[in-house]
Amino acid sequence: MVTARRLVLDLLKPYKPDIVTVADAVAGIDGITGVNVALVETDKEVQTVKMTVEGDPIQVETVYETLEDLGAAVHSIDEVVCGDHIVEQSTTPQD
Amino acid sequence: MRSYLRRLARALEREDVRSISRRYFISNGFDGALTSVGVSVGAYLSGIADGLTVFSIGIGAAIGLGTSGVWSVWEIERAEKRAELARIEHAMLSDLDETRIHRQQTGARKVNALMSGIGPIIGVVLPMSPFLFEGTLLSMRAATLASIGVAVAILFTFGAYLARISEQSWLVAGARMGLAGVLVAALNLVLPG
Repeated sequence: MVTARRLVLDLLKPYKPDIVTVADAVAGIDGITGVNVALVETDKEVQTVKMTVEGDPIQVETVYETLEDLGAAVHSIDEVVCGDHIVEQSTTPQD
Repeated sequence: MRSYLRRLARALEREDVRSISRRYFISNGFDGALTSVGVSVGAYLSGIADGLTVFSIGIGAAIGLGTSGVWSVWEIERAEKRAELARIEHAMLSDLDETRIHRQQTGARKVNALMSGIGPIIGVVLPMSPFLFEGTLLSMRAATLASIGVAVAILFTFGAYLARISEQSWLVAGARMGLAGVLVAALNLVLPG
């Protein structure tokens, strides 16, 4: 099973369950040490949210399964950090 | 069985489920109480001399109304919740079968149907109960009056309860609901048949 240290996901979810329930459900997965869910956009029936998960390690498949059970769809994986420690993005001359 | 009951209890914790269940319970309980007033006054005016017979007629009405409450709400909520899920699925562009939202809808539907069936059963069985004492403690006339009294008290309680959740005067709301029972009794007296 693929594991990671940090996962940043762009999610599309129904209004219910709300983001508190979604964050709490993901935070309850073994290995997860923290979850942040931020509302990005609200549409008529659905919400777009950004979810940041950190863990030691994160069982990625379990996170996906939990999100699927909650009715959320992963639109994109915006950031992933794997390995022994968390590596932040480094600045390059292009930045 | 225990997990089934736990699921129903969890569904009842949700305010949206409680709100819809409350409406079905009160609405069908109201129907039941007024039906029992009609049955008891009609039975008395028809000259039925045996309280147990009137009680049996009332139980028949309770079974009919209770079944109607469960069945109709089961079908109504099934259609409404499927439509709601289809709207969300359309917006999500994904299938939500077997997800938490789908399971929650199923649990909510069961609670709604159950409460819808319990309402009329309470609304009929309690007002009919004085007829069980006809011949021992009560005369037929007294049992009929007691039956109307119990039905009006149930209606009053429904009104007072609704007033409590909507922060209105429980006395006024209770009296307004109770008046319906008195009116049905009066209509049964004055209308032919």
